[in-house]
Formats: sequence, structure tokens, C-alpha cells
Amino acid sequence: MAHRKTNGSKIFMTVLFMVAACRAVAINDLLDRASERSDILHSLSTTLSHDLDSQFPPIGRVIMPRPSMCHTASLQTPIDKYQALQVSESDLLSLARSLLQAWEDPLVVLSTSANTLPHPAQSSISNKIQELQEHSKNLGDGLDILSGKMGPAAQTIASLPYRGGNDIGEDRISKLINFNFLLSCFRRDSHKIDSFLKILRCRAAKMQPEMC
Amino acid sequence: MPHSSTHFVPPLWQPQTVWWPPKPGAGLTICPALLRIIELLPRLCGAMMKKAVEVILLLLLFFTPHTMGKRVSPPGKPALTRCRSPEKETFTCWWEPGSDGGLPTTHALYYRKESSERVYECPDYHTAGENSCFFNKNDTSIWVNYNITVVATNALGSNFSDPVDVDVVYIVKPNPPEKQTVTVMEDKGWPFLRVSWEPPQKADTRSGWITLIYELRVKLEEENEWEMHLAGHQKTFNIFSVRSGGKYLVEVRCKPDHGFWSEWSSTSYIKVPDYFHREKSVWILLTIFSAFIFLILTWLLHMNSRSLKNCILPPVPGPKIKGFDKQLLKNGKSDEIFSALMVSNFPPTTSSNYEDLLVEYLEVYVPVEQELMQEESKDLHGGSLKCERSTSDSDSGRGSCDSHTLLMDKCGEAKKEGRHTDRESSRRLTEAQRHQKGWEEDTLTYAHGDMVSPDMSNGRVKTWPSVFSPLPRYSSNPLDKQSSLEMAKQHCLSQPGHSTKEALGPSNWDLCLGNKQPHLLHPQTQVGWQLQAHSEVNISNIGRKQAPAGLQSPALRSTEYVEVQRVNKEDLVLLQPVVSGCGRIEGYPQKPKEKDYSKVKGVDSDNMLLLQREVMEEDWCPGVNQEINGVTGNCYTSSTVSPTHKPTACIHTAIPVQADMALAMNGYVDTATMCTMPTC
Repeated sequence: MAHRKTNGSKIFMTVLFMVAACRAVAINDLLDRASERSDILHSLSTTLSHDLDSQFPPIGRVIMPRPSMCHTASLQTPIDKYQALQVSESDLLSLARSLLQAWEDPLVVLSTSANTLPHPAQSSISNKIQELQEHSKNLGDGLDILSGKMGPAAQTIASLPYRGGNDIGEDRISKLINFNFLLSCFRRDSHKIDSFLKILRCRAAKMQPEMC
Repeated sequence: MPHSSTHFVPPLWQPQTVWWPPKPGAGLTICPALLRIIELLPRLCGAMMKKAVEVILLLLLFFTPHTMGKRVSPPGKPALTRCRSPEKETFTCWWEPGSDGGLPTTHALYYRKESSERVYECPDYHTAGENSCFFNKNDTSIWVNYNITVVATNALGSNFSDPVDVDVVYIVKPNPPEKQTVTVMEDKGWPFLRVSWEPPQKADTRSGWITLIYELRVKLEEENEWEMHLAGHQKTFNIFSVRSGGKYLVEVRCKPDHGFWSEWSSTSYIKVPDYFHREKSVWILLTIFSAFIFLILTWLLHMNSRSLKNCILPPVPGPKIKGFDKQLLKNGKSDEIFSALMVSNFPPTTSSNYEDLLVEYLEVYVPVEQELMQEESKDLHGGSLKCERSTSDSDSGRGSCDSHTLLMDKCGEAKKEGRHTDRESSRRLTEAQRHQKGWEEDTLTYAHGDMVSPDMSNGRVKTWPSVFSPLPRYSSNPLDKQSSLEMAKQHCLSQPGHSTKEALGPSNWDLCLGNKQPHLLHPQTQVGWQLQAHSEVNISNIGRKQAPAGLQSPALRSTEYVEVQRVNKEDLVLLQPVVSGCGRIEGYPQKPKEKDYSKVKGVDSDNMLLLQREVMEEDWCPGVNQEINGVTGNCYTSSTVSPTHKPTACIHTAIPVQADMALAMNGYVDTATMCTMPTC
């Protein structure tokens, strides 16, 4: 009986150790992948913005809505490095996930709008929007897995509903302006996500300082 | 490369609003001062003074523009050129001032953060240099749009630049990498450069705030083009494509993940030491090796020079014409050349040459009768075919068929060889004998068959060639130019005229029935030619006794097959000629190697042997004796041929017949040897 018990405990310890070891390695790798994907996400959005701006008549910029009117503006995020480095890992992840979640619906709106966008580079814009959706979804899945490994605080996701509706404008100018505005909001938020994840990556990679 | 977001948000506030305070000491102009003085003048003086002052003022006014030199105006519009953040914690903005309007102009930078209406002025104008504004950490917020405007102010007015929206995270341009080192290292004897560096000090890469990627460039001192290498996140890099003894310049730069490339770092110089001796040794080795191979090739060439020469330059075959003299040709005397070419004995006209052209001679001799019969019986039982050796050596130069030990094949070969040139034989007679012997082999074969089955009158006879030997001798009888067998036929029949005709058919046999022939034949018939039940026909005996001493050139080389027709009462085999091949008549007389058979039509009055050239060969197969005439159908007469027989129209050739030869008995004459028939 005692013999069996010691054997069982040994096995249990082995399994636990393995899980722990696996977990440690997995997070690092997961974060690395997540940050890579967020990097791509942001790069895509930057390219899109440039494509749009190139054809944008200067007059259109005049009546652009202000960035503070983004639907994610209500989310409190660090505004400088000092603040950012003080945020815990879980919170960082939570912020990232919240932001990502908040853009799930607006991306759909963007995608549908892109099909009828009165722009010379409409097709390429439409393709890139689809890529954005794809990467966003992948990243979301990865972050969900990550959050499962980082504790309950990482699980909270702030709700940031998009209230813009499906229609982004009636006439051509307003369509373009609204599209551009939404895209700029997304660009900033994707940069936030990317930064948070890269901070997380560096924190998790204490064994590999060359990563940072 | 992303530029700063410069989407211009329209200022919701107007520059003319009160909020911005005008700069004190903007500078009074001279004109208002003068006006002031003018206002004050009437108080000071009377009317007269007033006029003088006016004049003075006018003069002043007149000169003032000259002394001033230019017009004054409000300042030109400044423009914000760029804003940069080196580490995403602070940032600096630079502007380009417009024209100052001739007056001292001051510039001010005002900014507004996106979420508030409050306007701030630039906190630091000096840190970053002239026409710049530096935002320190406290004043810098990220993910916040800054609305920045520059104002240029002078005494006459002020001018606002276009506002610019700036988000700090989009304008990051780090400092160049620091602490760059380049060293020469060795890898298996080959040098390479190892470059290492540190990230810029200000950039906080350790916390992950900034992620940098690096790029370096290398070039030789004397070159113009740089060689770029992307290093990624790593802080060291190896360059392998270096030349020994070269002096290299190395520079590094970096870029944040979503920002601008930094400036190139300061150049590092490095000189690669000479590794010349190693390269040289390789060359020396190569040279020795190639020289060695070259020597081997030369030696091989020398050894095979002859065969190679033959291969590349094959020797030109020289002319091998008999009687051709190269010297004559070189001398150029054509007459002599061609005369030398002419062979005197061509075409063959004399009998001596003619005999040379004979294939072979068959030596024929008739041994002792008993001996022959014994041998024949022996041979018969043995079943092996031998050529009998002739005991009498009246005629030397026996052919190969004379040997006892020779088998049938050899004799057969001799027969075949008879068709080939056998010029080495010194004895023409021997050749003829041999040939005839070979011919007789076939004839005797037919003879034997009849022996076995006497019922078959037309059966083929198989016999042994041992009996041959006597016959050729006989056939070389000057009487005839025919095969001995044909003579034998005659003997067999032993009756001139009709019997021969019946048995043997064609009129060629009739030729046998010359006047002289019967005389010869008759006695010989008695002598040797007896049919034996068990033995072959002693055809050979017939001709043996009467064989004359000297053998003339037989000339006849017919190898006609004979068919045994029947055996008559006197135990004589009646033979008839058989042309088995149906094409035995072949060739032209000019070819000595081939057999030329022509049927002798007859001899004319001038002793000319009249021949008939065979026309039909293929269909001319032997049938019934009488039919042969019909088959050939032409020019054959079944009547006896007498010397005085006249030639028909079909006769093509006329051959002079010599006196001692009456007629060719069988009618077949070897036209090739026609002209040289001594006994013709």
C-alpha cells in the first residue's frame, strides 16, 4: 500500500513538473508568436492608411473627426512608458484582449464598406481589410490561450461596443472620411496591442535577453 | 517607412482669438514715433516752428525709406518640418521659419493635446537647437495626438504655420547604434570580419519598450558601393566575403519595429591582414599538378603518335595497279604509263593463260581394274566416300582428291573449288581432272541410285567418288571436250545413234557420237564399265584404259548431273543428263571463274564449233529426254549431229574447232575456255 502510494506520488510529481516545464516554455513561445502577429497587424493597418491618404483630397481632412471620438477611447491605457511598465502582465494582456475584441465588429463594417468604397485602390484596400480580419482573429485565439495560462486577471475583457452602425456614410466624401477615421482608430489600437505584447514578451523572456 | 501622421485637423480655434498672448516688445516702427512727435509739435512752438518742423519731418520721411533699405512686413509663414522621438519617451519638433519681413521675428510653438482644449507653449526652445522645440518626458504622452502650430511674430504682425498632428509612437527614429567594434577573425584559415554593437543608449530595449532591428554596411576603402547586410535583432554579425589585405569600412544603423531608420553609426575601419601565402601555396600546388598532367599527356601522345597520326591523317592509298609505275607518272610521260599498264596477256588469248584461268584440274587415272573394284567395294561398304589414290603416276600433280584418306566433303570441296581460281596449280591437266572428278561425283551419285532400285529408271543414283579417278583421265582424251560421264553415257549406250538419243535425250549427246568416238568407246566399254549389283558404276574405268598419256587441257568444266535412266541388258547404266540447278548455264565467257555452258550446236564445215547460247534457264529443268528438246525449244535438233551439220539461225557463237576435235560430245562447252581450246 505504501509502496503504491509512493509510486503514485512520484508519478504525480513528474507530471506536474512536466506540465510546469511545458507551461513555462509555452508562454514564451506563445508570446513570441502573438507579438509577431500583432506586428503584422499593425503594419497592415499602416499600409492601408497610407494607401488611403495618398488619394485623399486635402479638403477631406478638414472635417475629419477627432481621434478621441474612437469607440475605444474610453479604455484607460498607459500614456507613457513609466505607466506602461508598471502595468502587470495580466492587465496588459487584458487590455490587449479588450482592444482586440472591441474591433471584431468594426472590422466587419470596414470590410463591407471596402467593397463599395469610392476609391481608386478599392480592391487592394478590400483585400487588406480581409487580411486584417484574419490576423485579428488568429491573434484573438492566441491571446485567449495565453490568458488561460496567466491567471484570472487576464481573463477580464472590457466591453467596448461599437456604436457606429453598419453604415459609414451616404455620400462619397463622408464615406471616405469615416472609413479613414475608423482606420486611424484601428491603427492606434493595433499599435497599443503590439506594444503591450512586446512588453510582455520581454518580461517573459528573462532566460533569453537577446530577445529584447 | 512611415511618416508622421500629418493629417491636418482643422483648427477648431481661430488664431485671432484672444487666447494667444501677443509678444511684448514686438517693436515700434519709426513712423508711429514720428507721428507722435508731429502731434506733440504744435504745443511746443508757434506757427513758425510748426512749418519748420513740418519741413524737417517731410525730409525725414523722405529719407527714411532710404535709410531703412527695405519694406517691412509681417513675418512669413513658418512651417513645421519634422518631429522626431528617439526613444518613444521624448520628442522634438523642428520648424522652418518664413521670411522675417525685415523685422526681428520671434517664433513660438503651441500645441494642444487631443483630448483637451488647453493650449500649451513649447517648454524648451533651446535644447534641441535653433528653431526647435523639445518635449521632455513629462510633457510627452503617447497614443495621444498633438496638434502643433508654430507662430512667427514680428513688429508688424504674426504668422501661423499649418497645424500638424503628431502621435509620438509614429515618429520614432532612434539614435545610431553605439560601441561598434569590428574584429578580424579566422575560420579554417580564411579571414572574416566580426562586427558587434550596442543599441543606442537612450532606447530602452531591455524592457521591451522599443524593439530594434539592425542593419550594417561594408565596403572596401577604394570602392564606391556599400554591401548591405540585415542583421535582424542580433547585435553581432559576421562578414565572410573579405579579401585578404583589404581595408574595410563598416557602419551600422537600427530601426524600431514601426519607425524610421536611424542614421549610420560612425565608420569603423579595419584592415584584414595578408593571407597571401596561403593562397599562393594553393596556386603552386595547382601549377605543379597541371604540369604533371601535361607531362603525362605528352608522353601518351608520343607513345600513340603513330596510331593518332593514322587516325587523324589516314594514309592515302596508293595505286596498286599491275604494271603501274609511279616513277613514270611522275615523269609525266603518258605513253609509257599507259603502255606499261597494258597487260600483255589480257584478254587471254593463248592457251597457256587460258589454262591458268581454269579452276582446277582433275587428275584422272585409271588404276588396276581389280584393285579399283576392291577399293570400290570397300568404299561402298564402308559408306565413306573417298577419293581413290591413283597408283599410276603417269600424271603428276595429283589433286587433293587423289588421296585415299580424303572424305567426300573434301572431294565435294574440290568440286566447288573447281569453280574458284586455282592458278597455283602448275598442271593444267590436274585442274581439269580435279574438276571433272568433282563433276563426276555428282554423276555417279545418280548412277548408284539406280543400282539400288533398278526399277526406278529415273532415280537418282548415289555413288562414291572413288570411281571417279579413272574417268577424268578418260575425259581428258583429246577426243572430247566433254565430261567423262557423258562419254560414259555413250559407252553405256555403246551404240551410237538412236539409243543414245532415247536414253540421253538431248542432242548434245549426239555429239558424242562422233566418228571417232565409237571406236574409242567400244573397246572401253568392254574394259571397264560393268555394272555390279553392289557397286557403283565403274564409269571411271571406261575412260581409264584409253586414257592417253598426255592430258590436254580439258577445257570442259561442266558439272552436269546425270540421271540414270535405266539399266540395259548388258548391265550398262543408261544415263541422261540432268540439269538440276536449272541454271547451270551461267555467266559469260569472259569470267573464268564462272561456268559457262553453251551447247554446241555443231561443227561446221570450217571446223567451227557452233554454240548456242542458252536463252531460257529457269524453266529448263530436265524432264523426259524427249521433252528437253521441247522445253528448250530452240535450236536443238534431235538428229544426229555430224560434223557437217549446219548451224541454225539461233547459234550465236561460232568457235573455231581444231582439227583433232570433232565435236563436243555433250554439246556443252565451256565458253570461257573456248578460245583456248587446244583440242577444239
